[in-house]
Amino acid sequence: MTKLNINKREYQLDLKGHETLLEVLRDNLGLTGTKTACEESECGTCTVVMEGKAVLSCITLAANCVGKEITTIEGLADGEQLHPVQQAFIDHGAVQCGFCIPGMIMSAKALLDKNPEPTLEEIQYGLDGNLCRCACYLKIFDAIRDAGEKMKTLKGS
Amino acid sequence: MAASAQKTFSKEYVDPVGKSVPRIDGRGIVTGQTKYAFDVSFPNMLVGKMLRSPHPHARIISIDTSKAEKLPGVRAVITARDTHQIKFGSNEYFFPHTVDQMAIEAEKVRYVGDELGAVAAVDEETALEALSLIDVQYEILPAVFDVREAMKPGAPQIHESLNNIAVILPVNFGNPDRALKEADYVREDLFFAPAAHMAALEPHVCVGQWEIFSNKVTLWASSQAPFKCREALAKTLKLDLNDVRVIKMAVGGGFGGKLEMLPMDFAACLLSRKAGGLPVKICCNREEEFLATRRKHGMIYKIKSGVKKDGTLAAITGEVIADGGAYCSYGPTVLAAAIMRIFMLYKIQHFRMTGYRVYTNTPISGAMRGFGGVQAGFAIESHMDMLAEAIGMDPVEFRLKNITTPNMVTINKMVLTTNGLKECIEKAIESCRWYEKRGKQKHLCRGIGIGIAADVMGSKMYKSHESAGSIVKVEEDGSVYLFTGAADTGQGSNTALSQIAAQELGVSYSRIRCKSGDTEITPFDTGSFASRVTFISGNATLLAARDAKNQILAIVAEDLELDIDDLDIKTEEVINTKNKSVLMSFDKALELCYAFHYGKQIIGRGSYNPKTTPIDFRTGEGNVSGSYGFEAQVAEVEVNKETGEVDVLKLWDAHDIGKAINPQSAEGQIEGSLAMGLGYTFMENLRFDNKGRPANGNFANYRIPRSIGTPPIECIMVETNDPNGPFGAKGMGEAALLPTSAAIANAIYDAVGIRLKELPFTPDKIIKALKEKEQIESLSKGA
Repeated sequence: MTKLNINKREYQLDLKGHETLLEVLRDNLGLTGTKTACEESECGTCTVVMEGKAVLSCITLAANCVGKEITTIEGLADGEQLHPVQQAFIDHGAVQCGFCIPGMIMSAKALLDKNPEPTLEEIQYGLDGNLCRCACYLKIFDAIRDAGEKMKTLKGS
Repeated sequence: MAASAQKTFSKEYVDPVGKSVPRIDGRGIVTGQTKYAFDVSFPNMLVGKMLRSPHPHARIISIDTSKAEKLPGVRAVITARDTHQIKFGSNEYFFPHTVDQMAIEAEKVRYVGDELGAVAAVDEETALEALSLIDVQYEILPAVFDVREAMKPGAPQIHESLNNIAVILPVNFGNPDRALKEADYVREDLFFAPAAHMAALEPHVCVGQWEIFSNKVTLWASSQAPFKCREALAKTLKLDLNDVRVIKMAVGGGFGGKLEMLPMDFAACLLSRKAGGLPVKICCNREEEFLATRRKHGMIYKIKSGVKKDGTLAAITGEVIADGGAYCSYGPTVLAAAIMRIFMLYKIQHFRMTGYRVYTNTPISGAMRGFGGVQAGFAIESHMDMLAEAIGMDPVEFRLKNITTPNMVTINKMVLTTNGLKECIEKAIESCRWYEKRGKQKHLCRGIGIGIAADVMGSKMYKSHESAGSIVKVEEDGSVYLFTGAADTGQGSNTALSQIAAQELGVSYSRIRCKSGDTEITPFDTGSFASRVTFISGNATLLAARDAKNQILAIVAEDLELDIDDLDIKTEEVINTKNKSVLMSFDKALELCYAFHYGKQIIGRGSYNPKTTPIDFRTGEGNVSGSYGFEAQVAEVEVNKETGEVDVLKLWDAHDIGKAINPQSAEGQIEGSLAMGLGYTFMENLRFDNKGRPANGNFANYRIPRSIGTPPIECIMVETNDPNGPFGAKGMGEAALLPTSAAIANAIYDAVGIRLKELPFTPDKIIKALKEKEQIESLSKGA
């Protein structure tokens, strides 16, 4: 049995060994919030946060995630209270079709946890791996800046 | 007690129209709870895979599926033998001869990827292995991949059409030959706009289930037009319409690619039947997505026009050749739109353009956001700048002289009522400080350019009518349910329609729950295309909300013995409009409706079909839309002469959208369109290899706009308050990407004096053009 720590919960899984983290999340655990658009590390849609870093779950072997703290889009809100990044995406209209949004939000969270006051350039580089075909990018930049400020205030209080 | 049954709703969003209220589905999306067809799963669900042709053109001699059927884990295999072999298409109403595709081809395959069978198995591995065990014998036929080759006599014949021309569209008005002769200046240009791909992030995906004993089919789909999908499924499966239910899930982007039933939708249902009714899920991988869904037409656009010295456009003539790929799909209407949009923009008396929609052995071209207008916009708006320059006129003044006006009928009988085009141009050039910049930043290799565009709000090109229906149900607890057939594909139509319903009903937006795009539950709607939903489905929703409101007011009037014509509901209160007094709260009025002796359920209905005249494709005449939208766009660029790279410094888009129902959402549509326009201008080009397959069919090689490189965009809303629109609104969502390529081409010309006529503008093309310009200049100096 493989033990994975996902969204602060321990899951016991009977893995064959070759499953990607994406497959485990979606197919074994029903955590379908994490999407994929290419399955070959080109789109960023499958991004989750592992040990504080944004990683692509489509090219991450689940077996290599043992003992690591994994957060998916389902684990971001605190009860019914949305994470500041989630709330900022709604407030700034940074959502169109929404398919890229879980991955986009997880990349943004990883970026802001390290750097709550990113410049526009830092945001653009931080999200370079996340494609959005609706091209909501400008509103996403606004949302991330706003979320960074809120996170800083929350930390300070 | 009725009072205790009522819920408490936030009053935060009363009078929601014109406000940027949060998306109705926002919390679901940002938490990953929203369910896409991609996420649909059932116990015992099978995985389906399509059997695709490896040859671009071949006759099917035989198919042996026996080995695949025997493979453990395989539950169903289908070929054309299992089907009724009925063809489907998207322009059945106007162009019946273009209904040319079978869900599972029986005799011939016409491009690499063409479907000739499908399998369903317990998992993907088994399904793929089963595909490899199917033995198909082909007679290979010669293939043709280039439109100009395909049109030559003697070229391989892909369908039964002369020279592979599926559709010829001649559009003729006035006497263009005479007008060209009488013009002071005439020029001809040839433009190339390449194939591209919608590349929605959510792939095409569906789950089909055939309930064997009740003979009922359900498809959970990622669809822009669930009712249209139902129609095609019923037709090809030979079922009654009401035996087929299409449930549109959240859609992860469509952009035109999810307007039609695809063979995989058909196959999922039929496989399910053969597998005893187990649900079957089929999901395209990214390679299949580029290969075998829909793509944008590549176009060759020849345009020849004459102008008078005073800047009056004398005549426009030309020819459009559209690369259709293997089947017709939406080709005829895309071609029509590529030719006829110009009538909404410019006052023209003499016009002749002929369009050819040509088959090739390449992936199927359909309707991508802009419906042919992107390719046309690039050609026409570049050409207009060249005409203006030739007679020494500023491109803005040239346009202002020739553009259409409010309350006019165009030469092809389009009725333009509100028309904010002039205001759009004026606002855009004011905002970008046009006259300070145009022609004055060459020393910095900087330039500024303009392009304009117009769009329809629905087109009545799918069937005889363009109607939408809505139901507004007001429950005893005060909650309001909106049922609309419209398909929210991410553009936010559920939000905009809910705002319209709340505004008309006089209640807070937070009361509204919206159910959309389920063919068994919601009223009919033709779907999300032609920028029609806010205008057409919005009107239907407005009427349904008004009907519900009148039902409530009738009870109040009866109870208080007042005249219903003196009553209205505004900001959650029933008011007497005569003396402006508040009679009761909305909740109280509902309590009354559902009280002991009334017990009246409030169910409002609305149906809307715009007043238009059908288009006659033999002449190009017809008022296709109930309203028309307009815009002007300006781009400012800086060209790096060493590297050939272009930096887009800023874009301005002034847009006549009638009225912004949700300004934030409208801005999102404009920003997204412009970014997509930038993609088509600088990087997107779906190339084909020597078998007609996409040569760059993945995100590593088919580059789409990213966060890096997204320039600042200024959106300017021009609100012309259309008398036919819901609260004055028009549709939007497509127009904004029509002029982007031309605005940039015109800006590059202003910056460094090169004229680019072939998209995309890659650095190598720019460097080549700069070198050619240098050579010409040095030659003329030498002479």
